[in-house]
Amino acid sequence: MMFEDLVRAIQPKFPQLTAANSRPTSPYDEGYNCIAWAADDTDRWWEPDPLFQQYWPPSVPREYTLDAFVRAYGLQGYIERCNATVEMGKQKVAIYTASSGKPTHAARQLPDGWWASKLGREIDIEHEFEALDGPMYGTVAVILARPAKQHSMSGK
Amino acid sequence: MTTPTVVRRAPTMRSSPAIGVAANVIFAISAMGASPQSDQLRSRLRDASVHFAFPASNRRDSRRERFRSLAQQWRSETQWFSSTRDIAMHPAYQAIIGMGAAALPMILEDLRQNSGHWYWALKAISNEDPVVPGDRGSIKKMRNAWLQWGETKGLVRA
Repeated sequence: MMFEDLVRAIQPKFPQLTAANSRPTSPYDEGYNCIAWAADDTDRWWEPDPLFQQYWPPSVPREYTLDAFVRAYGLQGYIERCNATVEMGKQKVAIYTASSGKPTHAARQLPDGWWASKLGREIDIEHEFEALDGPMYGTVAVILARPAKQHSMSGK
Repeated sequence: MTTPTVVRRAPTMRSSPAIGVAANVIFAISAMGASPQSDQLRSRLRDASVHFAFPASNRRDSRRERFRSLAQQWRSETQWFSSTRDIAMHPAYQAIIGMGAAALPMILEDLRQNSGHWYWALKAISNEDPVVPGDRGSIKKMRNAWLQWGETKGLVRA
């Protein structure tokens, strides 16, 4: 399926997503999710699931709350709360929440101001900041920054 | 001109369910004060009627068909979810968990062929988890651990 067709097909879930404000970057891979992708980990699925089947930083509460997700990224060095503008020397991640407040998605900022996202267990895309807002992922609740090129603090 | 030959077959229970019903009625009536052999025959006839109406092979096929349909629905409706909890809470996935241990061979076969996040269902149904803590979240290792578990249990071919 061409990317344009895919975007058209998923429009009800991502009404702001278009072929003009996004581009595909890698194919389907169920080995990791968006939360892992934003943390630069493409080997594991990150999630505080109650059955303890997925990876979650051991020192972070295993719960689906914004605070827990902020703490998980904090272990990767993302400590400073900020906005979506591009700042030299800083890497940023955005955490999305549904209207209920439950975290649904995360994206990582690229040097050109676009954002890199993994869509579920499907493809990776790059997109403009608000392109994924909608019923599927809600909206961005928090943006966190860390000094650019800082290595992981999780010990992985 | 030749006329087509009409093949006449003797009526059977399969061709005429009424025969089965009639036989049951006869046995039911004769059961009152009848011999133990009559009771035994009546019981066997009842079993035969049940097997006729619901063959075990059909039950297996319909279960497999139901699994396939639910799995397809689940996959297409959860493909954008980033949470395995949300993925597992989908009604089709829950229906598969509701099939119980009978679903395990089909889940493992699907896992082998198509991969997919079946780990929640496998753990929920079996109450076991062959994945070592260090491999949590490593989908390939989780898949291998569960397939090996299934092979050990004789639930999926080696």
